[in-house]
Amino acid sequence: MAPWLRARRKLDGAGYGEALCQTYARASITVASEVGPEPAIEMADTLSAVTIKSGLQAGAHFCEAAPIAARLLKNFQRFRAWLSLMQRFAALAPESVVPVLSRTDALIAELNVSQLEAWLLAGVRLSGVDVEKRLAFFTFEAPEAARLLDRESKGIGFFDMDRRLRAYLSALFGVHPVIREAPPGRHDGSGRRSSFGESFIQMPGHYRGVRGPESEMLFRAALAHIGAHLRFGGRRFALGQLKPLQVAVVSLIEDARVEHLAMAEMPGLRRLWTAFHVAEASGALTAESRFARLSRALIDPDFEDIDGWVRKGRELFFAAKDKWHDPAISRSIGNLLGNDLGQLRIQFNAKSYAVQPLYRDDNLGLWAFPEDAAPEECSDVIVEGARATQGDDALPPDKEREETDRDPDADRVKPIPPKDPTQGVAIARQSEYDYEARVERPDWVTIHAVAPQAGAASYDREVRQRYQALIARITELVRATRVGRPERLKKQQEGETLDLDACIEAVRDMRSGFLPDLRVYQARQARHRDLSVSVLLDISASTGDPVGDVGVPIIDVLRDATVVLAHAMAELRDPFSIAAFNSNGRDDVRYTQIKNFAEPFTRAATAALAGIKPGYSTRLGAALRETGSQLARQPSHRRLILLISDGEPSDIDCPDPKYLVEDARRAVQTLAGQGINVFSVQVGSRDRETEERIFGRRNIVHINSIAELPEKLSFLYLRLTA
Amino acid sequence: MLDGYMIETEPYYRPTGNEVDLFAAAYAARLPAMLKGPTGCGKTRFIEHMAWRLKRPIVTISCHEDMTASDLVGRFLLDPNGTVWADGPLTLAVRHGAICYLDEVVEARQDTTVVIHALTDDRRILPLEKKGELVQAHPDFQLVISYNPGYQSVLKDLKESTKQRFCALDFGYPDPSVETEIVASEANIDNSTAHTLVEIARRSRNLRGQGLNEGASTRMLISAGHLIKAGVPIGEACTVALIVPITDDPDMRDALSNVVAACA
Repeated sequence: MAPWLRARRKLDGAGYGEALCQTYARASITVASEVGPEPAIEMADTLSAVTIKSGLQAGAHFCEAAPIAARLLKNFQRFRAWLSLMQRFAALAPESVVPVLSRTDALIAELNVSQLEAWLLAGVRLSGVDVEKRLAFFTFEAPEAARLLDRESKGIGFFDMDRRLRAYLSALFGVHPVIREAPPGRHDGSGRRSSFGESFIQMPGHYRGVRGPESEMLFRAALAHIGAHLRFGGRRFALGQLKPLQVAVVSLIEDARVEHLAMAEMPGLRRLWTAFHVAEASGALTAESRFARLSRALIDPDFEDIDGWVRKGRELFFAAKDKWHDPAISRSIGNLLGNDLGQLRIQFNAKSYAVQPLYRDDNLGLWAFPEDAAPEECSDVIVEGARATQGDDALPPDKEREETDRDPDADRVKPIPPKDPTQGVAIARQSEYDYEARVERPDWVTIHAVAPQAGAASYDREVRQRYQALIARITELVRATRVGRPERLKKQQEGETLDLDACIEAVRDMRSGFLPDLRVYQARQARHRDLSVSVLLDISASTGDPVGDVGVPIIDVLRDATVVLAHAMAELRDPFSIAAFNSNGRDDVRYTQIKNFAEPFTRAATAALAGIKPGYSTRLGAALRETGSQLARQPSHRRLILLISDGEPSDIDCPDPKYLVEDARRAVQTLAGQGINVFSVQVGSRDRETEERIFGRRNIVHINSIAELPEKLSFLYLRLTA
Repeated sequence: MLDGYMIETEPYYRPTGNEVDLFAAAYAARLPAMLKGPTGCGKTRFIEHMAWRLKRPIVTISCHEDMTASDLVGRFLLDPNGTVWADGPLTLAVRHGAICYLDEVVEARQDTTVVIHALTDDRRILPLEKKGELVQAHPDFQLVISYNPGYQSVLKDLKESTKQRFCALDFGYPDPSVETEIVASEANIDNSTAHTLVEIARRSRNLRGQGLNEGASTRMLISAGHLIKAGVPIGEACTVALIVPITDDPDMRDALSNVVAACA
């Protein structure tokens, strides 16, 4: 009691006004009864901090929110964590405290404290320093807020495991449809179901209220069900004059029919599906409950139902066992059962009806809807689907495209021709690591491909003249050490031919009574060079600065050095790519591909190099991930990213300098895990410690005298890859 | 000389078509033969069976990347008095009239495989350059190679000039009913278990090119069958004999485990 009174007195003395103290007194009593007295007292400090940062109104909201949080969190440790989170949040985004606190019950119902932390930090990161944007996020005006909330709250979603589920579906049924996530926001009612068409499947990203391993089972059941439709289904049923009720019953029988055919081949599927049939043979006899019970009766042999209609359905269905391969029986049995229900005058609301159990699809794929008669909800799904199929067909039959479908980065989209070439088109999204929340946020950064602008055509000739001697030296060096030429290995244990010198020695030794060296063969061995390199140029605004010792902008030397290096690489016949990047916030990382792996190094590439212009900032992690994702597709033993940069990462929407450094460090580590090494050449850099933190001490070289760059870079490359 | 290479007891082989007659006809004309098909579908078993049926010794050479022409034709070795020539396995078969079976021939480098060119046209000779000898093939000699078209990338393929010297028999995984029979008989398990294994394998083959290089082979099914025979539950047997060997990709393993669960 005494500490509580002290806390009250302190608040009194702080001059927040009598009203707030009263509110605190009331709130703290509720909190104390929920999670104990200590946090109720600690709450005073948080209240004080929140009020100082965000004002009296926020303080009042805090007093309202705290009892709710205490009630929902139930545990004093979690409540404490919430208190300290709110205190931190008030410091980070004081203007957004009120909207967040006023949604406490909704937020805590969806998220636990660490998820809440991740979501709050995501909001702060997303908006950078833009207060308006931040407020829009936390008041849920920005659609991103709901999307990220969804992502944080649901744990594993379909697209966290789509690859394995896709493989599961392909293996079971030998079908390879396009699988897409349902557009968010459309299916946010209770009826979130999967859907399918001729060549696509649309999956809900999450099933509401299903988490953890169960959601994985559910996705699997849903895909297996659709697979059964695709494999055993016939042509779409004509809608004709059928009423919604009849459509629902026919669909139900068809569901059971294809499932039985699939189970005949794969008995284990029964276990998978039956687990989701939970309808009980009791309770109100609405149309929906009858449907659920019939569904169960048709798949679960142990299920007994007393309802006449359900029993009749089961009898009819199993009596037609020999004809299950014919989709027409679904229609005839469904019609009979539908008529019976119609005679019973059962109410059926097609609008609110959702197929049970959860794993089944919405049945739209079973029916051929006349164009104008399609039910509203359905039509846009179907039109969407048609658009998707068309869209896919319209793409050129590019081999690469086929491969990307199977690739982990299948979400990569084909660029649409840009309106303004300097603007670029979004080609990919990359994740980004938040060291404070300790999460890697997927799809956080948007990569725009910016088409290279051709620079002066004379540049190629100029640079060759300027570095004539150097290029000649490098060419000579490369020729001398050219790999791939077979090497003669003498004195071998095994080999194709005898090594005459060794033989003579051995015989001499034998004759003079010594033990001969039996390594008398020689072999020829081709030295393999199996290496792919991506050169990544940082062309942020700072590279436009002239540097001391030569007085020309860094980028000019960078460009020259790249040309010389490319010359060496082409001479070595190493596959290589060149790209340049800069960034303007997380939505606009500009990525200019100057040369890709497939193209030879030509004048066009030099001209493109001549055309790069410095500007904007350095979002290094995203660029590294993008380069890495391209390099990962190269079938080489060794894969190397050679980054040439003049400073540490930074971007306009990241006030915290450590954030992008940690992200880049994470990107380097992730790439290393994929067998891609990142080596950094730092030009005229200042902060060695930060750079070493990102790349590791051994993977970095500093070049102070910029004039030496062209020479040093090429020799460094030769050494690095020898 | 080649007694050790004779096959004494009949190797089990269940024909899936008329491949036995076709091969016998090819042997009668001493035509070089090529067996094409995925790994573990019975190519090696077939050629052993044919060697037994034709009562010829069979010399098998498993080809690999580092194999040189000397490994095929032979080389000089040292003895106390100087050098002595030792025939390689191919020369051995050529001299004494065996069937020479080059298993997975594309694994060998292309310049290695050209030594067989003179053997596989009407000359039927093997020049031993290092020794300065021209070996005329024994009348009973036949060259057979095997080759898995899907398994390697385009990087490894036979030269056109090599390919065109062979007649080819195409092997695939047998029909489910035949494969069930083979698995049941080889692993000595009942038909329904064998059927389940075959169903699992068929589904894994759907993933070929979709994350797996190859689906589960008949050979793997037989291994799984042996484990089941020894009392291992089917799920574990499939994990040990099919899933873990076939891929290291966690997503594919997960998908395959669930395929097993769906089929068993």
